[in-house]
Amino acid sequence: MTSPGSATPFQFPEIYSFPPFFTRQPNESTWREQRRQWCELILAYYRHYRLYSISLTEPAREPPFANRQVSRVLPADALREVVDELVKQGNAVWTGAKNTKDACLVLWRKPDVWASMIHQWASERGLLSTVLTVFELTSGDDTVGQEFHDLDAATMRRALDVLQSQGKAQLFAGSSDEDLGVKLFA
Amino acid sequence: MHKAVGIGGLRRKEAERLREQIALMKSNLENFVREHQREIRSDPVFRVQIQRMCQLIGVDPLASRKGYMAELLGVGDFYCELGIQIIDICVSTRSANGGLIEVEELRRRLIRRRLKGSEPIVEDDIRRAIGQLKPLKGGYKIVDFGNRKMVQSVARELNSDFSTVLTLAQHTCKFTREDIRAAWNWDEDRATSCINEMLCSGIIWVDEQQVGDSSFEYWVPAFFARGT
Repeated sequence: MTSPGSATPFQFPEIYSFPPFFTRQPNESTWREQRRQWCELILAYYRHYRLYSISLTEPAREPPFANRQVSRVLPADALREVVDELVKQGNAVWTGAKNTKDACLVLWRKPDVWASMIHQWASERGLLSTVLTVFELTSGDDTVGQEFHDLDAATMRRALDVLQSQGKAQLFAGSSDEDLGVKLFA
Repeated sequence: MHKAVGIGGLRRKEAERLREQIALMKSNLENFVREHQREIRSDPVFRVQIQRMCQLIGVDPLASRKGYMAELLGVGDFYCELGIQIIDICVSTRSANGGLIEVEELRRRLIRRRLKGSEPIVEDDIRRAIGQLKPLKGGYKIVDFGNRKMVQSVARELNSDFSTVLTLAQHTCKFTREDIRAAWNWDEDRATSCINEMLCSGIIWVDEQQVGDSSFEYWVPAFFARGT
């Protein structure tokens, strides 16, 4: 298993080894509990390894959706229901072609939380009213050590959109996503 | 007749002396408990011993709220607090386990949630705390399935077919329709309705991805939680 964002392996909850956890339970109240635990697991796992997207076009083969030790995989239909719940909670958005529900962005931190982190950083560094590029925010030396350093572009864009809607940012289109410029205000 | 009165008199004297002795023991025990309150609260083995002594001389420290022993032992508060924590755990895990939790798992969860440095919990404490919950009519009780000691927290009686099937699953945490048929030769309807009702009550979860065998496996989450 690869661990892109973190040196320590993820600690799976007990239920991850429970084979029926990978079968959508027919009883609605059991399923609600099961879905809640799936939501929790996905957010924790994605946050731990700083992952951002789920693709549902192919059957899942990797954790957390599959567990090789018990040879179980969460079927795509059940996973769609789980993602629907994450979307309802504001912790995911469907990103694929309309109504196909075959790709989503997982927001293990909500965009407004990223937004206030970025805004606080800029105001502490005296960078308000200065034009910054998205590349500087996610990959610049000045943000090393900040939690939003290395944030993926789509999530960053959502955070900046939040700041813009709050009147705390103005965006300037660039030639690419990374060239996108932003000016933050107090 | 004279002799009989004599014996009666002797018995009266004997009884008198016993009463005095018991009164003395009670008062000694009271002093002892007062002096060792801290150890009683912090040492579960000691706590059980004191409770046994109380029982021996006919004092139930939990019998009444005003009972001096309960007050002195601090056990009234202790079991009341423990009872509330037990209810909390049972209610919050009910949607995952159908209201059935192994005593040992409950104990682990109690220890995990109690403040560091608070009194260690032993099975006897759980039994007592659950005994105290009886007046609440919440259906809290300890039931055995083979070698598994479980706390049941649903008001209804467990269907006897449920109990039979749960006993079957006590070692492996799971069973199949074939297991039921092989063990008791139930007809299809009885097995189906038992499995469906168990699924409805959340006591079992179905696994449709078992390897090989075409039949689904039914798992008991309350059993699975042990030792993992």
